[in-house]
Amino acid sequence: MDYQAPRSAWLDNAFTAAALAIPLWAILELVVAPAVRDSAPAWTAAGLRAAFPALILWVLLGLTLGASANTVRRIAARLRPVRPAAPERDRKRVLILGGGFAGMTTAAKLEELLAADRTVEITLVSDSNALLFTPMLAEVAGSSIEPTHISSPLRSSLRRTRVVRGRVCEVDLESRRVAFQPGVPAEGPSYLEYDELILALGGVSNFFGQENIKRVALDFKSLPDAIRIRNHVIALFERAEGEPDPDVRRRLLTFVVAGGGFAGIELAGALNDFARGILDEYPHLAAEELRVVVVHARERILPELSESLAAYALERMSERGVQFKLNRQVANATADTVLLHPSEEIEANTLVWTAGTAPNPLIASLDVARDKRGAVIVNACMSVPGHTGLWALGDCAAIPNLAEGGTYPPTAQHALREAATLAFNIRAVLRNEMPRDFRFEARGSLCVIGHQAACAEVRAPLTRRKLRFSGLLAWLMWRAVYLSKLPGFERKVRVLVDWVAELYFPRDTVQTIELI
Amino acid sequence: MSLRPRIGAGAIGGALGALLLAALPSGLAGNVFVILAWGTALGALFAIALGNRRLEPGAALVWGLGYAFVVWLSVCAASALGGPAHGSNAMLDVARAHFASLVGLSLAAVPLALVVATVGRMPGPRSGPRFSIARALCAGGFAGIFGGWAFGKWMEQAGFFPLIAGIVRSDSPQVGVVLHFTIAIVIGATFGLLFQREVRGLGSSLGWGAAYGVFWWFVGPLTMLPLLLGTRPEWTAEHAGMLFGSLIGHIIYGLIVGLLYAIVDSIWLWLFERSDPLNRQAEGSGTVALSSLWRGAAASLIAGLLFSIIMAETGALTRVAQLVGAHSIAVGFLVHVGISFVIGATYGACFHYEAATELEAIGWGALYGLIWWFLGPLTLFPVLLGGSFTWTTAAADAQVPSLIGHLIYGIALALTFRTLERRHLANLFIDERLRRRWMRLRRPAGSPAPALLLFFIGTGVMLPLVLG
Repeated sequence: MDYQAPRSAWLDNAFTAAALAIPLWAILELVVAPAVRDSAPAWTAAGLRAAFPALILWVLLGLTLGASANTVRRIAARLRPVRPAAPERDRKRVLILGGGFAGMTTAAKLEELLAADRTVEITLVSDSNALLFTPMLAEVAGSSIEPTHISSPLRSSLRRTRVVRGRVCEVDLESRRVAFQPGVPAEGPSYLEYDELILALGGVSNFFGQENIKRVALDFKSLPDAIRIRNHVIALFERAEGEPDPDVRRRLLTFVVAGGGFAGIELAGALNDFARGILDEYPHLAAEELRVVVVHARERILPELSESLAAYALERMSERGVQFKLNRQVANATADTVLLHPSEEIEANTLVWTAGTAPNPLIASLDVARDKRGAVIVNACMSVPGHTGLWALGDCAAIPNLAEGGTYPPTAQHALREAATLAFNIRAVLRNEMPRDFRFEARGSLCVIGHQAACAEVRAPLTRRKLRFSGLLAWLMWRAVYLSKLPGFERKVRVLVDWVAELYFPRDTVQTIELI
Repeated sequence: MSLRPRIGAGAIGGALGALLLAALPSGLAGNVFVILAWGTALGALFAIALGNRRLEPGAALVWGLGYAFVVWLSVCAASALGGPAHGSNAMLDVARAHFASLVGLSLAAVPLALVVATVGRMPGPRSGPRFSIARALCAGGFAGIFGGWAFGKWMEQAGFFPLIAGIVRSDSPQVGVVLHFTIAIVIGATFGLLFQREVRGLGSSLGWGAAYGVFWWFVGPLTMLPLLLGTRPEWTAEHAGMLFGSLIGHIIYGLIVGLLYAIVDSIWLWLFERSDPLNRQAEGSGTVALSSLWRGAAASLIAGLLFSIIMAETGALTRVAQLVGAHSIAVGFLVHVGISFVIGATYGACFHYEAATELEAIGWGALYGLIWWFLGPLTLFPVLLGGSFTWTTAAADAQVPSLIGHLIYGIALALTFRTLERRHLANLFIDERLRRRWMRLRRPAGSPAPALLLFFIGTGVMLPLVLG
């Protein structure tokens, strides 16, 4: 029941203090006092009985002090001046654009650092209401994890940050104002003003100006993309099942993945497992008709990893039925064909694009210096030179690597660390303190290549040596590492349940959206 | 709201309590009018002290027990100050001589509490989970069966069943077993009726159960049993010392009843009330429970290390090592850390709604430590080493160092847990809606928790000293 608080809590205080006096008696009389007197502690029944009068005294003293605590507190409250809340105009406005790893983590770290400091307002603008955990996106496309389980709602993760759903359409650096489209285009843009602006807009797929490919290819950056790929695969299986022409069936069951980096390889592995795993449900389809093809422009896949691991991944995936077209690029695509350069043609109804990323196009509209990738050039503190109160991090920023030269790569691992440093720097600036440089050495890289197989390259602690793992051990490392990194305890439990369920039950082939 | 009706009810309840004592052939002899006057005055004072707070009978009983304990301490202190002898033994002798007053005052708290909670009821809106008689009786009775089973193990060992059978003029152990379980079920059911509204979580329910166990030791073996057997209740420290095993049995019984009742109650609430999206916590009760387990386990590392210093000083680590058939201090330390880890994690799961301040955390931590002193070295430890319960004053005397260690462990555990929890809640409470929702589940001001802490920690620490 909810108690009605008594007018005076002196009885509660008196009894609480009397109760607390008993363990206090034990600690002070039987532990501290002998230690101070440098005598042996009297931790015996006789010793306790000798201290019995003191016990009664302690309890009665506690009772008296507790009963008078209210009066003392009331007098102290009258003597203490009440500090007025900071007026609205004195509050600093921190505005974060982007709700990905970089933006969301910056907001979360700022909340931590600022704690109850109400003189700072934090606002985050995002076109999605959840943070997507991209390392597990391939598993969603492969139907081994429920889509929503790898996304954490921004509103439940951030407590004091005002989360605004919308797409940023303009940043006015002069008047320090941001325009965003709040979801209903007919209503026109809304505006937010700021004192400190953080650009964490992330990246988009880079089709290198090839409009045909952009029109035909499936993107693989967001949760809807992964859901679309999964449904697309199921839809093609359904069509192929009723298709009498073997050539058309073969075309329907050919899935081309452009790009042999982490995203492409993980997606190809997951798609291959998913597609071959559901074949039994389609009795008219044969395994030989199914093809998952990876097209990669270089001579070896996974350039982020060492050569031996890349060779292992190629061999293992080939054994499981994935085909590779190395030293080739996707030159053009139609609804039925993927054209490669040098000349080769693959008849396929599916092309998934993972061959390149570029910073968010909004960056190009800003009057700031950019590198050749199009990312905002910032200094080591992540502030944009020449623009007070403007910061950038993550995929849309080129942050100088002071230790090794060049800039840090646009990965989630780096974005998380950059966010922690940037949050510290924002607080430092707000308090007229010195910001610090971002320095980070990547811990390693992990990539799943198919059922219970992965490649891992991990930096050994306290050395610069890299340890390499492959196969089941690497796959277990991948799962352990990414499960621990997945934001939110509840999401971890849900994903763990998905993984366990996947061991015992067939993958779900329910088509949730109609595409074809 | 005027306090006059409540003060009147307090005076009447106090007078009824005094009459009860006067009617009992308990050795608390004295002029009936003097006892009645004291009872009326103490009852009125009790009502004034309670103020305008809302009270249910269970809460009033716990406040009454705490009040009885304070009055007894005051009587002891006054007698010791007024008496000719001084020194530690004199105070102990006074406490022993006034043991009958503790029993009598605790019994007199029953009519006092009932009258104050019913006649002196304060009007006002009632919120929180709905009171369910069926749930109270079923869950309480179910918990009583298991508590009775555990207590029955000691009664069988001590040959108590034929004595219980004497209530119906029999000496058959089987009749004693039936009677014992009947009483256990009835007490369990009354626990549900009295404390359903007080149960916030498993932790506090352990506390209510333990205090209820001590209360029933005063009522049962010290008072009702002799009366039903046709003999005169003997409220002396010497006689009570002989029934010390029964005291621990009652505490263990109370702990099991409290724990099981809370488990059944929580499952009920989770399934039918807290699972409702309108009442659900923002984080989800599963997340709260698991993160509390983690915080409790983390807190146990500091508390366990502190306790291990005391264990090393008193040579207890080698005994702990015997649990896994070893004799080395290192193994004993590892086993101790393992046990401490489990106990710490359960503290997190059981007490996360109880303490809103550091002082409250110290109180609940000390109570938890004390509970584990009764459960651990006095009950489970001998059993795990292949022996049986040693619920005697001699065994309790031998475990005194462990009592201090358990109190320190409990306090360190609770304070560390509170520190970890506070950090998490500071972030959560930034959102005022979440803070309000959390506070609905947390023990509010005005509950009888202070009286529970005082009564159980007070009797739990003092009775082994007074009766030994």
